[in-house]
Amino acid sequence: MIALSDFLIISAALFCIGLYMIVSKRNAIQILIGIELMLNAGILNLVAFGMYDRVDNSGQIFALFAIVLAAATTAVALAIILNVYRRYKTIDPGKINAMGE
Amino acid sequence: MEKFIPGTENDLLLYTLIAVFAPLLAAIINFCLPANRKHAGWVSTGAVLTSAAMAAILFIHIWENKTFHVQQLWFGIGDTKVFAGIWLNNLSVMMLGLVSLIALPVHIYSIAYMHHDARFNRYFTYLSFFCFSMLALVVVDSLILFYAFWELVGFSSYLLIGFWFTREAAVQANKKAFIMNRIGDVGLLAAIIILFSHFHTFDMVALFGEDGLVANAAIFNHLWIAPNSNLPVAWHYVVYAGIFLAVAAKSAQFPLHSWLPDAMEGPTSVSALIHAATMVAAGVFLLGRVYPLFTAEELDAFAIIGCFTAFMAATIALTQNDLKRILAYSTISQLGFMVMAMGVGAYQSSLFHLVTHAFFKCLLFLAAGVVIHEMQHIKEENKLDINPQSILYMGGLSGKLPVTCIAAIIGAMALIGLPGTSGYLSKDSILIQAFEWSDSKGAYFKLVPITALITALLTAFYVTRLIAKVFFGDFKLSLVNPNLKFHISDGGWNYVLPLIALALCSLFPLFSSNWLQYEDSWLFEGLGKIGYADTESVYHSLIPGVLTASSLVVIATAFFLYIRSKASAHSGPLFRVSYNEWYVDKDYNKFVVQGVLLLSNALYWFDRNIIDGIINLFSSITKALAALSAWADRYIVDGVIYLLTVLVRRTGNFVRMFQVGRVQYYLYSMLAAVLILFILKSMI
Repeated sequence: MIALSDFLIISAALFCIGLYMIVSKRNAIQILIGIELMLNAGILNLVAFGMYDRVDNSGQIFALFAIVLAAATTAVALAIILNVYRRYKTIDPGKINAMGE
Repeated sequence: MEKFIPGTENDLLLYTLIAVFAPLLAAIINFCLPANRKHAGWVSTGAVLTSAAMAAILFIHIWENKTFHVQQLWFGIGDTKVFAGIWLNNLSVMMLGLVSLIALPVHIYSIAYMHHDARFNRYFTYLSFFCFSMLALVVVDSLILFYAFWELVGFSSYLLIGFWFTREAAVQANKKAFIMNRIGDVGLLAAIIILFSHFHTFDMVALFGEDGLVANAAIFNHLWIAPNSNLPVAWHYVVYAGIFLAVAAKSAQFPLHSWLPDAMEGPTSVSALIHAATMVAAGVFLLGRVYPLFTAEELDAFAIIGCFTAFMAATIALTQNDLKRILAYSTISQLGFMVMAMGVGAYQSSLFHLVTHAFFKCLLFLAAGVVIHEMQHIKEENKLDINPQSILYMGGLSGKLPVTCIAAIIGAMALIGLPGTSGYLSKDSILIQAFEWSDSKGAYFKLVPITALITALLTAFYVTRLIAKVFFGDFKLSLVNPNLKFHISDGGWNYVLPLIALALCSLFPLFSSNWLQYEDSWLFEGLGKIGYADTESVYHSLIPGVLTASSLVVIATAFFLYIRSKASAHSGPLFRVSYNEWYVDKDYNKFVVQGVLLLSNALYWFDRNIIDGIINLFSSITKALAALSAWADRYIVDGVIYLLTVLVRRTGNFVRMFQVGRVQYYLYSMLAAVLILFILKSMI
């Protein structure tokens, strides 16, 4: 029997890995992957805590919603990245610092 | 004769204007001429000849016939209208004739006398300008114009006294004359202002004419009452004092007489015209114009001052050695007689004496000019170091200068007042009326005519001394230096003609057909309209007799003293008082001049130390305050502002550090903020 805490540990590890990827990677795609990892860590938490609602399974249903939303946001993010690339010929967020000027 | 010369109002006005403005035109022409043109003399002479002709025509029309008064609105201020015009009566036409008649020979004389002067035409510019001012002075009818020409007369006198301005003495003399005349001018101005504020007019006819405002104003109960205003009587005395000062300054009366002897620094021809005959008579003329103003007591004061001046000047003249200075003091003395005559109510005698004195004193000065001129020749020819004006070097000139000598003797006789001369008529008339006047007064007033009588005898003495020392005896320079060369003569016709003309005018026929009785003089009768009481008193026969007899005795004594016994200078205390001119100048120097200098030094010190000190103190205080506020500005106000800017910059720089524009840094900071929030939360 896998204990709830194991799920939570994996989820926390996933979240930290995602966070690390977001702040350290020099490629917008990889940052996007990091975001996906963090989202999935959240979704994993939803599913894990869903064991306390066996009647309605609202945790799993909510997880499904979150997955759909994540797919949508990823699509939007990819579109943004594509436009950024067109404009700056790079997708390194460290070089896209026009806001600082 | 009146039939041949048109005499309508307009003609009279025209004649007057020509008479007055011809000399001014000459002055302007001469002023514009290139330097040292000899035509200048003839331009001025022509102008004064024109004036004399016009004066003669006017005289024929006006004298004892009518008065002529025209005026025109000059300007108005509010309701006050000021008129300017011409007032001719017996007095003005007499003065008009006198001035132009005296000026004519003086001009002719000056052409020769000033011939070698480098500033020949400048001299004639001044002389013509003087004639213009003097002629205008006697005809104007407004007190303002009178004052203006009074000043111009003084100014031209100033210019001519200082004509040889390279001499220190001449500069000092004209400065002195100017300052002393200024005192009188201030008095006259004050008098005019008070008269105007009292009577509301400057018109002399309205004020002093027959039945004028002044004559109708009464002094009653300590009030001076005029038609429109009442003033305390003190103002009447102020007017009197102002006019007295004006008269004393212009006519050289004590205490303002001391400028006249110094004024002899000018050319002798100028002394003859201005400082003997005409300008100094302006004071007496002023008295004649404003005569109705004075009360009996005020006239008494004039009598006393005039008498004192006459006596003092005569005593000074006794011991002076400068030829012109003797004549100057004699002029002061005779002016004293005139003022005294005004004071004793002998109005017409005073003006009569003014006229006769003008002729014989001018004659004496011109004769003196010839003598000085010749002495100057001798001095230059023999390279001597002498003062050509000192009578100590002269003597025995009668042989060399016969015409001058005879002219001078006639002038001297007139000055002494010997029968047959004009001076006899006028001086005796003054003395007789002075005695009659003193009869109506207290016993002390007898002193006035007696002093005048003594003065007349002193006059005889000093005039004889002068004539004797100059024309008789031995030529003093030859005694010292037997090899002296001198070639001197009376000079050309320019010298001789004026002398002869003036000498003839100094004799009685010009003035009276009767050589013994002054009452028969036409001049006396013409002027005799103001309150002359024809009294028959013992003085009429007594005074002329006594005076003539004692004068002859004095003349004989003086002649004997100076020719036979060759009296030399004494040195008693009286002599010293006389020789030092009664110490008047010394006292003026000691008290007035030193006082003024002391006062101005004190004021200078006050200015320097107190006024400047206060201002400097203020400036130091202001500077200190300014420094303080500069410091406060720099360190407090600016400091606060700097502090603010520094704070803002620091804050800005600090905040800028987070705003680098890189997305990942924002995430970092979000993470850090969330972590800090959690850490803080867990700590609470």
